Amino acid sequence: MNKIVVGLVAGVVLGALDGATAWFYPETRPLIGGIVAGSTFKGMLVGLASGWFARKVDSIKWGVVAGAALGLLLAFGVAVMDAASGQQHYLEIMLPGFVTGAIIGFSTQRMGTRKAA
Amino acid sequence: MDPDTAIGGGRDRFPSTEHSLLEAAAGGLAPEALERVAALYWKPVYRFIRLKFHKDNEDAKDLTQGFFSSALERDFFARFDPSKASFRTYLRMAVERFAWNAHAAGKCRKRGGDVAFEPVGEDAALTESPEEAFDREWRRQLFRLALRDLRKLCESAGREVEWRVLEAYDLAEDARPSYAAVGEQLGIPETSVTNYLARARRTLRKLVQDRMRGVTSGERELREEMRRVWK
Amino acid sequence: MEVNSDPADLSDSVVDHLRQVAGLPDLSGTRYELEGEIGRGGMGVVYQARDRQLERRVALKVVEAALAGEAALIARLEHPAIVPIYEAGTLPDGRAFYAMKRVTGVRLDRYAGAGRPVAERLRVIRRVGEALAFAHSRGAIHRDLKPQNVMVGEFGEVYVMDWGVEAVGGTPGFRAPEARLDQRSDIYALGALLQFVLPAPAPAALSAIARKAMSAEAGCRYGDVEEMLADIGRFEDGLAVTAWREPPMHRVARFWSRNALLLWLLTAYAAVKLGIFFWPYR
Repeated sequence: MNKIVVGLVAGVVLGALDGATAWFYPETRPLIGGIVAGSTFKGMLVGLASGWFARKVDSIKWGVVAGAALGLLLAFGVAVMDAASGQQHYLEIMLPGFVTGAIIGFSTQRMGTRKAA
Repeated sequence: MDPDTAIGGGRDRFPSTEHSLLEAAAGGLAPEALERVAALYWKPVYRFIRLKFHKDNEDAKDLTQGFFSSALERDFFARFDPSKASFRTYLRMAVERFAWNAHAAGKCRKRGGDVAFEPVGEDAALTESPEEAFDREWRRQLFRLALRDLRKLCESAGREVEWRVLEAYDLAEDARPSYAAVGEQLGIPETSVTNYLARARRTLRKLVQDRMRGVTSGERELREEMRRVWK
Repeated sequence: MEVNSDPADLSDSVVDHLRQVAGLPDLSGTRYELEGEIGRGGMGVVYQARDRQLERRVALKVVEAALAGEAALIARLEHPAIVPIYEAGTLPDGRAFYAMKRVTGVRLDRYAGAGRPVAERLRVIRRVGEALAFAHSRGAIHRDLKPQNVMVGEFGEVYVMDWGVEAVGGTPGFRAPEARLDQRSDIYALGALLQFVLPAPAPAALSAIARKAMSAEAGCRYGDVEEMLADIGRFEDGLAVTAWREPPMHRVARFWSRNALLLWLLTAYAAVKLGIFFWPYR
């Protein structure tokens, strides 16, 4: 499995799981469908980008940093859209996005094969 | 060095040979093989017996003579197994056994007393074991025989200068002379000295090897033994 | 000048001199000039010589003519961890010589001293193993692998030296017990080499790899060098090695140390989610 596929799979799975945790919060439970879909899409983007990065750079450390930064950036975008609808959930969206991105970045470094040079 | 041991050491009727020891022994040439062995090993054996069993000159000579003259009766060559040890080691151990038996018999006869232990002699370094002395004497005798062969060869082939250069330079006992001094002494240019010397050494090397070939079981043992000869 | 007219009287010093000079290779007719002896191995003597044409120092190995054929096989082994041969030839006395790169560096027995990280020690073993595997694939075996025959050069390059062409008895501690040496005997020696370079106390998995390679029964060793290197690689990657059935606690500890970062990240994720859940101002 190449690194981009690994990133895609890890991103989709972790994004979906991260979105599914909305079920635990009473105020977001009714919106869970949209949250899971959005979170999965966000995870997929982070995964693809991290996988691409992992093909260029062979370093767990930098993979984690890149994944975390991407996760944070995309989560910030989501939080901004969320704020536009009148609610302020920057912390609740960006912190988990940051850690999930880091895990996706880690996965793409540890697993999968680099494209043959 | 040992004028008292000219027996055996003086003979060189069988200089070099292409046959290995076992080939000669197996081909019905056992007496000839023994001659070759004795030419090389008489002195080492004598020295070994003197040091190991503290024998005086006469006793050691008798024992050495006894060892070699009884060798053929004892299937000496037939019992040598090259896969176990070199011929040199085999021979030394056989000497040891032979001398022990003789030593024990001698003691019985002299029971009651006057077993005289001969002082070993001034040249026996105390730091050296009889086995080391045996090897040292073996190398000395090997070079002695090969040098004799070399001289004869040079004389018969009209290469006397080669011999004289080697003699003047490599056999110099004290300070080694310069090439220039050797050249001057022999009336040849200095550059020729090194050429003659190289050629003489090359021949000497071959002659040493030939001498050893006659007393080893084959190429393999020969190689191993030559490693102990060159420094 | 007084010289001996009869060679019957040879003093120890003259014999020693003759042993030295008669053994020296006669390099007249070659482009090399003898400078001294570097060492002697199973196969022959190695001298330092000067290449007059290229104005550089070389190592010159001199072997008996009977060994020249097999020595040529080794000369054809081109591998970064095998010393390259510049030229081969025959001396006037019939012996063969090989001029090769003069390697400067540190012998492994000195290199593997205190303070050298395990990872670096393993790197050297891996290089040695790669050279062995390559030689084995070409039908050559080393026969006398030991720390004294491995050099680490000034750029970190590793050289396996003194490839043997006949069983020279090997070196106690590194020679396999079997009488006829083959590729498995080299694996034994590589195991002994691994054990030699490991610091005390050594990681149990690495000791187990060395032990397996050094099984008295050749059939119980690794099948080939690659298999052994793969096991060492598994150790380096934090995976279980085939040579060792590890205790459960060790397995847990290894899993933790291999996945420590991931476990920390998962913990951080859980902490974030719980923190948000209990955040009073939400």
